[in-house]
Amino acid sequence: MSRVSLKVTGAQGQGVNSVGEICGKGLKRAGYCVFGYREYMSLIKGGHSSYQLDISNEKIESTETRADIVMNFDHHGLVENFYDVKDGGILLHQTPMWKFTEEQQKFLKEHAVTVVYLPVEEVLRKLRAGPILGNIFVTAVVWALLGQGADALKELVREQFGHKGEEIIRKNFEVIDEAVAYISRQEAVHPLALMKPDVKWRNHLYLTGSQAMGLGIIHAGCRLYASYPMTPASPLLTYIADMQNKTGMVIKQAEDEITAAQVVSGAMLMGTRAATATSGGGFDLMTETLSLNGLLENPFVVFLFQRPGPATGLPTWTAQGDLLLATGCAHGEFPRLVMAVSGSQDAFDLMPEVFNYAEEFQTVVIVLSDKQIAEGLSTQSPYDQKRAEIRRGKLITSPKALAKLTAADRYDPKAVDGLSPRWLPGTEAATFSSQGDEHDAEGRVNESGPNAAEQMEKRMAKMDALRKALPEPELYGSQNPRVLVVSWGSNRGPLSDVIKSDAFIGRKVSYLHYSYLWPLRTEKLMKLAERAEKTVLVECNYQGQLGMLIAQECGLRFDHRILKYDGRPMFYDELFEQLTALLP
Amino acid sequence: MSIPLDTSGPFMKDYATETLCTWCDNCGDYGIWTAIKQALTELRLHPWQVLLCYDVGCHGNMSDKITAYTFHGLHGRVIPFAAGAKLANPRVPVMAFGGDGASFSEGVGHLVHAIRSNYPIVFVLHNNANYGLTTGQASALTWQGQSMNSSPNGIPERTLPSMDFVFSLEPTFVARSFSGDIPQMTEIFKTAIGHRGFAYVDILQSCPTYNKFATHKYLLEHCKPVGPDHDTSDFKKARAIAVDTSKHIFTGLLYQNKDVPSYYEQLKARQGLKTTAVEEVKKIDVSEWMKEFV
Repeated sequence: MSRVSLKVTGAQGQGVNSVGEICGKGLKRAGYCVFGYREYMSLIKGGHSSYQLDISNEKIESTETRADIVMNFDHHGLVENFYDVKDGGILLHQTPMWKFTEEQQKFLKEHAVTVVYLPVEEVLRKLRAGPILGNIFVTAVVWALLGQGADALKELVREQFGHKGEEIIRKNFEVIDEAVAYISRQEAVHPLALMKPDVKWRNHLYLTGSQAMGLGIIHAGCRLYASYPMTPASPLLTYIADMQNKTGMVIKQAEDEITAAQVVSGAMLMGTRAATATSGGGFDLMTETLSLNGLLENPFVVFLFQRPGPATGLPTWTAQGDLLLATGCAHGEFPRLVMAVSGSQDAFDLMPEVFNYAEEFQTVVIVLSDKQIAEGLSTQSPYDQKRAEIRRGKLITSPKALAKLTAADRYDPKAVDGLSPRWLPGTEAATFSSQGDEHDAEGRVNESGPNAAEQMEKRMAKMDALRKALPEPELYGSQNPRVLVVSWGSNRGPLSDVIKSDAFIGRKVSYLHYSYLWPLRTEKLMKLAERAEKTVLVECNYQGQLGMLIAQECGLRFDHRILKYDGRPMFYDELFEQLTALLP
Repeated sequence: MSIPLDTSGPFMKDYATETLCTWCDNCGDYGIWTAIKQALTELRLHPWQVLLCYDVGCHGNMSDKITAYTFHGLHGRVIPFAAGAKLANPRVPVMAFGGDGASFSEGVGHLVHAIRSNYPIVFVLHNNANYGLTTGQASALTWQGQSMNSSPNGIPERTLPSMDFVFSLEPTFVARSFSGDIPQMTEIFKTAIGHRGFAYVDILQSCPTYNKFATHKYLLEHCKPVGPDHDTSDFKKARAIAVDTSKHIFTGLLYQNKDVPSYYEQLKARQGLKTTAVEEVKKIDVSEWMKEFV
């Protein structure tokens, strides 16, 4: 697979995202698969940020540490991102009179980097165009350097700014023409020879993981969403809230995370599908409520978007440090399902299953995501909506069946697999108490020893049934690997890109991807690990948390661990190098 | 002489359970418990038609002493749970019950935002001015200077002026009663269930075991129902008589504003929809919404 990348850097609010978004969508429409990656600081304006596009004509789901074209809106990028340009690449900037150090000049020469200064202010003055059009000038330059025609860009600009009137559009077009003319006059620089486009990408979606997840949540029949803002869970709240007039969903921006979790619990008990999302600190506040739902045997769904902790940590960066939190949080023992999404495909596809499991097993489902998935942009095939099914387990709604119920059916300790009937307040049937104290079959407080043991066994039987019901992890690559790589979450994208790269084809390297993390299935893993020469664990946390769970469950210890805990996702090239070193 | 009997029900006995009450002798919870059952019966609501949500505390032990769909949750968190339930199915009358410990310390933020949000639920404050279930510690509403469990010298903090606080949040419904006045509580609960938004009902409750200051006798002597000429739409007057308890503690429906829409009514996304969120759970087609990403 050949790949090309573009990185735009600058101060937040300077237009970095707008250049990235237009180019991303434009390239997809031109027939490319694009993967977008954003870095920014926990500030509204002024912090240094970047937007990178990795481009191919085949499926691409990862970011490289260095780019073919690096555009720096301000001089900070010329310092911070100076070494981000690849050999033979192009470094663009708009800082007048900028002088590179001797060391930098040497680097530029040795690595055949072409530097192009863009006199943006001068051009805009000449065209009597406002400073806001600087973004368009830069976009048009980059667009031309990617070998794309101006007409396609103009079409996108019309789509985005058409509502602002013909005069503004005309001005935009003038700036585009000037940019194209300017760059074509620069004899030292040549447009990149992009790979041949493939029309199949044109009808694809270009969206963030949060948007994918939002669509999936809506698709799954979730009708109430309550959340308290916290990066990187906020984009999901934003998307679902922005959609409310179309979907008719009940949206509640809660006063705190405890409220959000309680609102969701009440709504679920009443019988709708509801969900909340947060990040580590907010999740900590919710855990008492998770425990409550465990005892109530109430379906509960929370999306836990990971960022590096402890404490406020690195609020706008990514991590996988909360796996053990998800599996071990909240007081007492109760059944739970911990799942993780990995990108725009399963962020949609798994959503109906999240709610299905919550309702079927009448318990807590924690879905892990992270900042990389939440804000990364993927080129995604339109979602297959035939796949999903809505399963609601032992929910009873028909009047005939309701009439037969007795209160003691609700928490019947003899129910097979601990799965007892569930019915809803407001339905004409025997009533029961949803009891937060240990209780008997109909929800009456009961502190006797035998009852406590019996009810605990009833609830935990669901965990065994759940383990059997869950799919095994998914294997990418050879069915008989010599090197077995195991990971989860957002590492799937770069790992699958690496193992399908030319250097890895035929080398019998496979990737085993876990979507369902607790209860943990280890049968397939053990079989593969027994035959493999090397096992490798890849995680974005310090302790190798999935590795710890695996060791706990089946005793397997990995031969190698690739762990990263600097707030950055796994990059394609670094993973490529590290895995290449492990090839037999 | 034959007495005509209404046999269509519901009857108060429908709300009864075989579970024995565990409250102390003379606990105010008996009176509140009775008034709740009576109010629901008089409103002709069946036990299966209502959801009664309890916080943690002595009052919470009512959760299995009454036949209805009930919920017994976490300390301080009953209000948002009840609100979530109501928003999912606004057709079901939802009542939340909490003590003064839960509502003015642990979960006071929820009370603030519930009043502000005007959720269409009833909130009944079991106000016995102490933490009964944990054996008599001071709450924010315990009178300053009272010797309590864990504060033998009395508490250094000043007593929280709960009524002034609640009125400062511009509530749409405030009533007060006393656990010894079952007929008045019954009427208040009935009116509260019919209220459009968040109904705040403060029940001054005797705690014979731990509250030695606002006793049943004290409350009996001081509580005084507002007269028939009390104007429940007069916010200023209602606040004044609610706050000033120096001579009398005025009880009854103190204030009601029927013009403020409830939280649910304010949801633009829900306007015109005849169904509830509970009825809408199904696979939803997102084809139209995918297009914006192409």
